[in-house]
Amino acid sequence: MWLPFVGLIVGIILGLLTEIRIPVEYSNYLSIAVLAAFDTLFGGIRAYLQNIYDEKVFVSGFFFNIILAASLAFLGVHLGVDLYLAAVFAFGVRLFQNIAVIRRILLTKWSTTKEKLEKS
Amino acid sequence: MDKKKGKISFTFIATVIGFMIAVQFQTVKKPVERDTRDIWQLREALLTEKELQSNLLTEMRLNEEKLAAYESKRKQSKEQALRDTLEELKSEAGLKEMTGPGIIITIEPVLEGIKVGEPISNVVSPELLQRLLNELNMYEAKYISIDGQRVVNTTVIRDINGETKIDGHAIKKLPLEVKAVVDDQNKAETLYNRMKVSKAGDEFFIENLRLLISKPTSNIIVPAFEQPIRVHYLEPVKEGGVS
Repeated sequence: MWLPFVGLIVGIILGLLTEIRIPVEYSNYLSIAVLAAFDTLFGGIRAYLQNIYDEKVFVSGFFFNIILAASLAFLGVHLGVDLYLAAVFAFGVRLFQNIAVIRRILLTKWSTTKEKLEKS
Repeated sequence: MDKKKGKISFTFIATVIGFMIAVQFQTVKKPVERDTRDIWQLREALLTEKELQSNLLTEMRLNEEKLAAYESKRKQSKEQALRDTLEELKSEAGLKEMTGPGIIITIEPVLEGIKVGEPISNVVSPELLQRLLNELNMYEAKYISIDGQRVVNTTVIRDINGETKIDGHAIKKLPLEVKAVVDDQNKAETLYNRMKVSKAGDEFFIENLRLLISKPTSNIIVPAFEQPIRVHYLEPVKEGGVS
């Protein structure tokens, strides 16, 4: 369970060390991509906890979501409509839902283990 | 097997996310910005910098002034105060040369009298001089000298064997100069105007003398009193004594 966190930290350190900066005009896309990635990540965690985790869905969802979000933002920029807000909204809502589900699952797990401990 | 693979992909994606976050963070934090300002924007920037510079200079000057003020305060110890007082007293007693605005009165004989056979007066009677001094003092002359002799509080003007003497200095020939120094230019003007209309001129004329009163000038030098001031009847007040 801790491996993904190590990966996250390694990624952050790598990113900070390489000092890569993207042009300002593209930072919007990256931010939306980050949001999409977060959404996928928490979705994956939730699926993992609910035992319906599918690797193919997870990986494809990750890339597809990122590309979709970025292209939405791109389209929005060219249409003059802030379409990336739609992506922000959708991903934000899903992020909250996923985290809420994860919290509940963890709570249930915790309480069942506590009960088990009391029984034994 | 499947679980392990899942974990690996999870880790990979987490790494990618971490990388993305870091890049985004850096981009937002310090964007690489090219300098695309045109000349007017540059001028504005220069102006702000200049303002800053002038502010800093003002601050520097203020601080330096403060420093100088502290320095002078430090110097103004008790000793300095005593010295200042001494100087002040010296100038009041007439022991210092004084410069300031004032007038010069020249006393000269009336040469027209020769024609009608009158003798040329070569002496100024002490009474006349005293009257002149009184008048000058009345009109707020601060420092007075007659023929280069400083007039102080103890100055005596008297006739000794037909010679008019000021503190022992004999007035032997005319014309002679009387210098009067006042506090400021305005008072010099007033003094000049009053002397112009005073009776002193007439009184001198009776004795075949004429007063020439110069226009007030700003830098008249009155010499110091050269002889020692004899103080016979003055004693310093004893500490705590009855004054």
